[in-house]
Amino acid sequence: MKELGWTEKWTLRFAVVALLFLALSGFEGMLMRTQLYDQDALHGMEALLNNVRPGVAEPGTEELFYSMLTAHPIVGVYGFIYMAVFGAFYFLVPYLLDKPVRHRKLVVTNFWLQIIGVMICWASGFFGLFNSLYTLYWPLPVSFDRTPVWGSVFFMVGAALIMVNILIFAFNIFKTVLSKSDSKSYSFFQFLRSAFGIPRLLKLFGKEDKNAPNLDYNGLPVFIVAVGRGSIDTVINAFVLLTAGAVILVYGLFALFGSPLNPAAIDPLLYKNWYWWGLDMVADGNALIYTAGVWYLLIPLLTGRQLFGANVVKTVIMVDLLVSMGVWSHHLLGDTSQPMWMRLLSGQFITWGEFFTMGLTIFASLMTVWLARPVKMTAALKFALGSMFGFMMGGVAGLVQANLGLNVVFHNTQWVVALHAHTFLLTGVGTMLFAVLYALVPMLTKLEFKSKGLINAHFWLWIVGSVIMAYAMGMAGAQGMLRRTLYEGGQFQGYTLVAIIGGLLVSLGFVAFLVNLVGTLGLRNVIGIIVPERWLPEQQPTPAQA
Amino acid sequence: MDHRERNWLFVLIAVFLVFNIVTLSPLIPWQRWMFWSSPAPEHTVRVEFGEYEIRLPAENIEARVGEYVEFVATSDDVTYGLGVFRKDGSMVFQEQVLPGRENRIVWKFDEAGLYDVRSTEYSGPRHSEMYIPDAIRVTQ
Repeated sequence: MKELGWTEKWTLRFAVVALLFLALSGFEGMLMRTQLYDQDALHGMEALLNNVRPGVAEPGTEELFYSMLTAHPIVGVYGFIYMAVFGAFYFLVPYLLDKPVRHRKLVVTNFWLQIIGVMICWASGFFGLFNSLYTLYWPLPVSFDRTPVWGSVFFMVGAALIMVNILIFAFNIFKTVLSKSDSKSYSFFQFLRSAFGIPRLLKLFGKEDKNAPNLDYNGLPVFIVAVGRGSIDTVINAFVLLTAGAVILVYGLFALFGSPLNPAAIDPLLYKNWYWWGLDMVADGNALIYTAGVWYLLIPLLTGRQLFGANVVKTVIMVDLLVSMGVWSHHLLGDTSQPMWMRLLSGQFITWGEFFTMGLTIFASLMTVWLARPVKMTAALKFALGSMFGFMMGGVAGLVQANLGLNVVFHNTQWVVALHAHTFLLTGVGTMLFAVLYALVPMLTKLEFKSKGLINAHFWLWIVGSVIMAYAMGMAGAQGMLRRTLYEGGQFQGYTLVAIIGGLLVSLGFVAFLVNLVGTLGLRNVIGIIVPERWLPEQQPTPAQA
Repeated sequence: MDHRERNWLFVLIAVFLVFNIVTLSPLIPWQRWMFWSSPAPEHTVRVEFGEYEIRLPAENIEARVGEYVEFVATSDDVTYGLGVFRKDGSMVFQEQVLPGRENRIVWKFDEAGLYDVRSTEYSGPRHSEMYIPDAIRVTQ
């Protein structure tokens, strides 16, 4: 393996930790599926683990299940996905702009703060039994007869660290793009205008702002515009969740000091609107547009052809910002107190905006591949195409549930979390992140993945397994199986068993990837990415060196 | 815009129109009274949630096939969900039950039989216990 530079090493560190969080999140997922199949299946393990939970009276299966259910998405989204995105963007943004990361120390800060924040949230569930789920519907997280106050306080501290860390990341990325280290420097407002696509909008009306160069046409890569545009959602998301977390933290601290505050002081519907407006920026904003940005970058690189319809793509980036800011009500379609016009406009019609933005994005990417034929089906291209399939499948499921009429029977069912959310996250985003890893690892290390068989095994096990899992639970949801509910008496066991088999296939695919990665880089080099060189045993010289 | 992109955009627009027109139309039976009209309910059923309990009216909940019933759900503490299910576990309808509000939904049953009620929103570790079998009797 070639000697790694500073940026390359940190990128790989982010990737390794992201993969560890993926493994943890996947393990939790399998445990919960097992409990959904048979509530009593893990009693032995629960009893064993209760020995390492100091100061907690014997928690029951339900408390443990819902605590794990609370930690699971934090580990999966903020541990796996965000860590992978941090690592990839800290390499790709400077690489494409040909200038260094603006604040190196913040890269290191991002690495550690994210790990600490995620692990505090995880520990708040594991040790503190915090169980209010990621939705944090008011006033559940401050109802301390249902959720332990210490768990709540620590979870909010962990979540706050994650959100502050995300703001630091966005700041560093923006500063890198805007830095004046060479001729490619842009003012903040120029970049912001580009990210919002305002110069393109003006151009539609036949106007050109000569004092505000149209960055779209002045060499800023589409990927960078997408990163900037997605980061606006990221910042809004972090800010909103930070405010919600701060409120819950204040309630927790007052309760700890013996002066509990009145939960009725905050309107649950208003809170729910605010919270989902911010939270949805992740799902419907930065996840989609970061993904689109990666496709816009990878597909031309892998096919050797310019992106098809680049102008339309830039308009899509602009339009998607407006869409992502207006879609949150699809999470409130079950709230009959939410005004009908908001449910219809924001919940249903604006959500369909994503059908257009992602529909055009995927079309542009697929057309690029089609027009570049014959293309070499590399691992990265295969996974990029797989991720598009995931977004199509998860997107269609999402549009079905984000519907005023159909939501009456789909809201809060397994359809939502399996066929939509898990397909998006595992088959869509997860596969896309593997495409990035398959592209980046050879770029960074100058080593090609050793086994094509293991790449194929990874691809098919991952895709087929995640689809089986999502489809089985989606069908259970269509039959009325609720999410966040432990059923007694073996209800829906058949669907759950098929989902467990799907989950096992996904796990085998992941193992195939890890075996190939370690086999390619060498175990010593993989460990060397994480720990300082001096901690490792002396490398034996090869016969040629000797 | 390339003609192929334009054609694809037309396909997307067609799918958008067809899907939304169909799902807003009376082809989805409950859209007739939930979206297109506001019929006066024949009677109202009040359901109270609190302390992990679903409190139904003292008298049994009974309805006739084809009549409009309004369910008014309230919560004393946290957010719950009012879900009505058939005996095979499939969902008839549900709504969120936010504290501090009267959460209303009108329903017209189209089949006689017994229906279960279950809380459809997570409200704490004992949430799964919130289940009342045979809570509603619908007759011809």
